[in-house]
Amino acid sequence: MFAIGTIERQSKVDWLMLLALAGLMVVGVTFIYSATMVNEAASLTVWHKQSYFRQIVWYGIGMGAAAAICLVDYHALARWSLVAYWGSIVSLLAVFVVGSVRFGARRWIDLGPIQIQPSEFAKLAFILAHANYLSRPADELRQPGVFWRAIGMMALPFLLIMKEPDLGSALILIPVSLTMLYVAGVPPRFINRLIGGVSAVVILIFVDILFAPPNWQIKLEEYQKRRLLVYFGHDGAPRNATPEQKAEARRAQRNYSYNVEQALISVGSGGLLGKGWRQGTQNALGYLPRAVAHNDFIFSVIAEEKGFMGSVIVIALYSVVLFTGIRIAGQTRDRLGKLLAVGVVAMLFSHVFINIGMNIRIMPVTGVPLPLLSYGGSSVLCSLIAAGMLQNVYIHRRSY
Amino acid sequence: MIVFDQLKKSDSHLRTITWSVLLGMAVLLAGLWWVQVISYRRYAEHEKAQAFRTVRIPAIRGKILDRHGAPLAENQPSYNVSLYLDELREEFKQEWSRSRPRKLVDGKMAPVKLSRSERLGLEAQARYRVASNIVQNLGTTLRQPVALEYGQFLRHYTNQLALPLPLLSLDPAQIARFQEQGRIPRGLDLEIQPQRFYPGKTTAGHLLGFLVQDNSSGADEDAFFNYRLPDYRGVVGIEGAFNDQLRGKAGVKSVLVNSLGYRQSETTWTAAEPGRNAVLTLDLAIQTAAEKALAVNGPNTRGAVVVMNPLNGDILALASSPTVDPNAFIPRLSHAEARRLSDDQLRPQINRATQENYAPGSIFKIITGLACLDAGVDPRAIVHNPGYIMVGRRHIKDLAAPGDYDFRKAFIHSSNTYFITNGIRAGVESIVRLGQRLHLGERSGLTTRQEVGGNFPSSKRVRSRWFDGDTANLCIGQGEIAVTPLQMAVMTSAVANGGKVFFPRLVDRVEPADPASGEETVRFPAGRLRDELGVKPRSLKIVREAMQADVADGGTGKAAEVPGMNVCGKTGTAEVTDEHNRNVGRNTWFVSYAPFESPRYVVVVLVENGQSGGGTCAPIAQKIYRAIQYQELQNKLNQPLVARIP
Repeated sequence: MFAIGTIERQSKVDWLMLLALAGLMVVGVTFIYSATMVNEAASLTVWHKQSYFRQIVWYGIGMGAAAAICLVDYHALARWSLVAYWGSIVSLLAVFVVGSVRFGARRWIDLGPIQIQPSEFAKLAFILAHANYLSRPADELRQPGVFWRAIGMMALPFLLIMKEPDLGSALILIPVSLTMLYVAGVPPRFINRLIGGVSAVVILIFVDILFAPPNWQIKLEEYQKRRLLVYFGHDGAPRNATPEQKAEARRAQRNYSYNVEQALISVGSGGLLGKGWRQGTQNALGYLPRAVAHNDFIFSVIAEEKGFMGSVIVIALYSVVLFTGIRIAGQTRDRLGKLLAVGVVAMLFSHVFINIGMNIRIMPVTGVPLPLLSYGGSSVLCSLIAAGMLQNVYIHRRSY
Repeated sequence: MIVFDQLKKSDSHLRTITWSVLLGMAVLLAGLWWVQVISYRRYAEHEKAQAFRTVRIPAIRGKILDRHGAPLAENQPSYNVSLYLDELREEFKQEWSRSRPRKLVDGKMAPVKLSRSERLGLEAQARYRVASNIVQNLGTTLRQPVALEYGQFLRHYTNQLALPLPLLSLDPAQIARFQEQGRIPRGLDLEIQPQRFYPGKTTAGHLLGFLVQDNSSGADEDAFFNYRLPDYRGVVGIEGAFNDQLRGKAGVKSVLVNSLGYRQSETTWTAAEPGRNAVLTLDLAIQTAAEKALAVNGPNTRGAVVVMNPLNGDILALASSPTVDPNAFIPRLSHAEARRLSDDQLRPQINRATQENYAPGSIFKIITGLACLDAGVDPRAIVHNPGYIMVGRRHIKDLAAPGDYDFRKAFIHSSNTYFITNGIRAGVESIVRLGQRLHLGERSGLTTRQEVGGNFPSSKRVRSRWFDGDTANLCIGQGEIAVTPLQMAVMTSAVANGGKVFFPRLVDRVEPADPASGEETVRFPAGRLRDELGVKPRSLKIVREAMQADVADGGTGKAAEVPGMNVCGKTGTAEVTDEHNRNVGRNTWFVSYAPFESPRYVVVVLVENGQSGGGTCAPIAQKIYRAIQYQELQNKLNQPLVARIP
């Protein structure tokens, strides 16, 4: 018993989490390879332009960034949190000015060879700043002013990200913020009121979108509305529409529900053991659109090719990361470290739950990447930096 | 363990979070279990349904062979050029990007924004342009314009994208031109498909029947297919009767298609099992001779010939004129041919040998004669013929010259007076009894669906409201009697073979296409006895001698005489009356067998509206006998040669 304690005290980093992260990265490269090398044209591209290779490069950069983060005590980081926060707000604003449009959304800033997605970094900056703000003595949190300022801190990036539009990334901020408020010890009545208010607004929005006459509906982006309608199996045609309009609406609904439908077929047809690596047909034949197969829908590729067993392994790897994260939160001696750890855990969990839930249709379609598995530089970088922050909290847990 | 350690934490907040994460992961796992394990079958089927198209591949149709194995119906390769749309996707894409409407925006040509339906329409047109260009070039290569309608292309694209688009079938010269071009253009390919072929054209056309296009599944095949390749179904004749055996079992091919519906790859799940061969009792040489002989008075002669082996009832030839060519139904009947076949005067579509009722006329005197002799009429007894006979108040003409007639003389000159007088004396029951033993008025159960039973009075019918006038009519094969040439062949066989009434047999066996397959051969036994005539041998002998005399001793059938064959026969001419009892024509008959000493062949000839039995039909029979004689001689010459080959 004593020996175990000694080892724990001596270990510098949380090896179990690192192992799980390494496992996820291996799975990520393997299945991005499978998802993109589907035809001759794809395999003719030079190796250094292949998606799987780029992903490896991003893993490298991400691990470097994570290691660099670990070198600086998180207390020191927290001192710069407001700078990071406002920096991220500025970059979010910059998206509206210099951002490039892809797939109808202005989410990226073009930096020559790479494009970055400020919303990803904004989430990290928000967690850091939020943790820093909430780490004040619990008594202060009982003041409504402090509470509302904390909410405002969340609302600003939320609105900016939603405006891009990127509803998925914006929505992630809500559970993250709520979890951190809860752990910080904000009186339950505040949180209950907040949850009640948010749910009421959300329900009102849904009722409005689904049932209100066209003139009374909130002006959501067309694609957001569609996605929501699809999730609720509603074709969105007004009640007094002509048969042609109704048919058109149904067709549009079918198109939008297509990705979900195909993802579900991919996952379901994988069965218990799957079809085998690179043997999945849904992606190869183009039923699962190739544009999304390797990023937002990478999980359905894994589930189709490796079956339920593969899904269990992925869930298990994420669980290890999440529970080691919670363990780190429990091992810290100060509120800042605990809040940071909890925020990161809440963010990772939200991503995993929304993305996998979307693949099996228990969540609506929102463009939320699966941490480390989805293809994409910003997402990988943020996930690894987030993991680095957890390790940072672990490494520097005694030095207060 | 890491999870439970967290649950034991004293920090209630972290405990709640641990529970939440645990719950979330459990929900995901439960959902995945539901989708991937419980509902696996549903999604797997869904996936298969959208990615696989099943195609029914028709089996090669079995052959129809004559008794010596010569083909009456077989398959020949048909060379079809098809357009493989999946190979043209790159061209489709290029044509679309070349032709899509653009406009000048900021000094650059930018694609015009189109609505979805506009874009789809233009894309379809671009694809059609690519396809129709290729088809036009093909026309130049083949030196024959090939048409590809927009509608046809569009229909194929929307409904059958996974299959190649068939363009046309090539004749040998075009095959050469197609193969000679340096490189077969992208998207085109030559496929070979078996096609039904009747090498003898009209030979046994009626008997073989014909095919119509029918792609539906057989009884023991899969019922559902996405696509079906063209297949045929036999309607009547041998093709119809043995359709299930000839058709074989269709195979299943699955085509993997991508999300746009283009063909990706193909696998054959089940190979088609070729159909079985039907071997007939027909002798092709005799059949050909019979058809040729029947057509001596022109192709529009309406008539029939039956050649039968009297010893077992095997049908050696069954001809009907005007003829039909079953090749005309492949791939489908043309309008001109359909019009020809439905001519209501010639009625070429009916098989006159089995499918039409005819009054037998004087050939029925064979039966009347047998009945009289069996009833004790003395063949030497004389009946005076004044040139007519009065039955009640009816006056019936006798074409035989006035004078005294005994049986033999009356038979060879076909005297109505003699046979009516003796027939009434013997009684109608004895004639009806013989007719019943020959099963007149009944079908023989030919499987070709081309048979009528004819008409013959029952014993009940002759007991009430039956007068001597009716008996008189029956005695000379008129009135309430109608027969088919096939029934007359059975009758003649019974006389020739000593009284055995056989079921006519048309099909010898149905055998597997590949004899090594070990499947069993279905045989239909020869010489199935249907009845016995039950007359005294002496009566048969007298009738047979009279039939011999009818040909050999200058009787009405002398035109059928063949030296060395010793043909025996009986002519007949039956008046055909309409419902108002007016004469509208006559059926001329000649029934015969040969040789007299050991009968091996029965030949029955019927011609509608001929001059007379002796004048029109006997020469036709003679031609057939000559052909048979020649054939036998050939066989005799060839036999030692054949015997030497192991």
